[in-house]
Amino acid sequence: MAYQWDFSPVLANAPLLVEGLVNTLRVTGTALVFGVALGLGLALLRLSPRRFLSWPAGFVIEVFRTTPPLVQLFWFFFALPILVGIEMTPFVAGAVTFSIQSASFFAEVFRAGIQSIERGQWDGARAIGMRHDQALRRIILPQAVKRMIPAFMERAIELMKTTTLIATISYADLLFAANEISQKTFRPLETYTVVALIYFVVIFLASQVARLVELRLARSGESTVH
Amino acid sequence: MRWDFASVFDNTDALLVGAAGTLRIFAICLVLGLSLGLLVGLGRYSRNRWIHIPATVFVEFFRNTPVLVQILWFYFALPILLPFQISPLVAASLGISLNSAAFSAEIYRGGIQSIETGQWDGARALGMRWGQAMRRIILPQALKRMLPALTNRAIEIFKMSTLASAVAYVELLQQGKLIASLNYNPIEAYTAVAVIFFVFLWPLVQFSYFLERRLRRDE
Repeated sequence: MAYQWDFSPVLANAPLLVEGLVNTLRVTGTALVFGVALGLGLALLRLSPRRFLSWPAGFVIEVFRTTPPLVQLFWFFFALPILVGIEMTPFVAGAVTFSIQSASFFAEVFRAGIQSIERGQWDGARAIGMRHDQALRRIILPQAVKRMIPAFMERAIELMKTTTLIATISYADLLFAANEISQKTFRPLETYTVVALIYFVVIFLASQVARLVELRLARSGESTVH
Repeated sequence: MRWDFASVFDNTDALLVGAAGTLRIFAICLVLGLSLGLLVGLGRYSRNRWIHIPATVFVEFFRNTPVLVQILWFYFALPILLPFQISPLVAASLGISLNSAAFSAEIYRGGIQSIETGQWDGARALGMRWGQAMRRIILPQALKRMLPALTNRAIEIFKMSTLASAVAYVELLQQGKLIASLNYNPIEAYTAVAVIFFVFLWPLVQFSYFLERRLRRDE
């Protein structure tokens, strides 16, 4: 039995797909901004010589790296609102989960980057009278960030793929749009194929950009940190 | 708000069934994913372009699409092209295994390429064919370097197994959902599930740190 492919019902729902893609990018963008900022904070805390700072940061990083993101998402969506008595929308639950989850991975990228800078850079900064935070901000981080860029972009791409989980708590992202359209049109084959291709195009382009940047960095003589 | 884990402990049986389901799909995807990955990785290394190009397309496609989309495609879309239904276990295993194969193929490729060409030349000089050199000389050395990355893949596969709950495969998270909806105790149910995953995965993560440290020391 030859199946008759028909993409027209899917294309008729293009506005839903566009809206879904926009929402996917919105979750990704939000989690990326908060994840990077929080990740830097966690990394600095974890590198602190004071144990009451480094241990809690280490604990958060390990817990969020070691448990499945879907379990975290369900916990933030179904358990946390009851625990603290607040309303939680799917978007907020997803943004919070993916921010902390990606932050714990970004934290390790930051840590590896900062630790890869030679001790002499710290000594030099001290020698010209900089305090710890001045040395970090002016000397160490600018050099470390350049080395971290490839690992950083790889994590950002992983984050985008992880955001599809938000469809399971009914946020209208691109995958959720696929569920809707396939139920409405009875064309799951065409719908999921189209949506898989959309994800592929977006993520593949992002990967290619990452690869180009990595090549350029390699040419300018910077080693990379993973 | 009082925490009450009694309602979770009353459902230990359901959680055990879930844990068995998680371990089953983890084992299937680990074996299929890592062995298929080796084949694809060798394929990408091949100079024959009828092997090289399909292997590359496979890797790029599965690395650049979300695994949940792959699982849903195998569950909802693929059966339309087939004369039979696909079970949640098969759909989820296909998605996770092929995704892991694509990622581990890159690990194998990187590991094999990291072995100096002198090792190949030496093997050739002793009269070994390509397959013999690969099996006896190159892979054993490369495997040691790849072990930390492959362990990380295993951890990722374990975490990905939760996505099978999206197609209602009975695993830990799915059972957590069931317990939460029957007993109205989402806090305890999901906390318990998170803790169980942490207990399973923490030793694996520590093991991967150990392997990374050892590799760094040895090289």
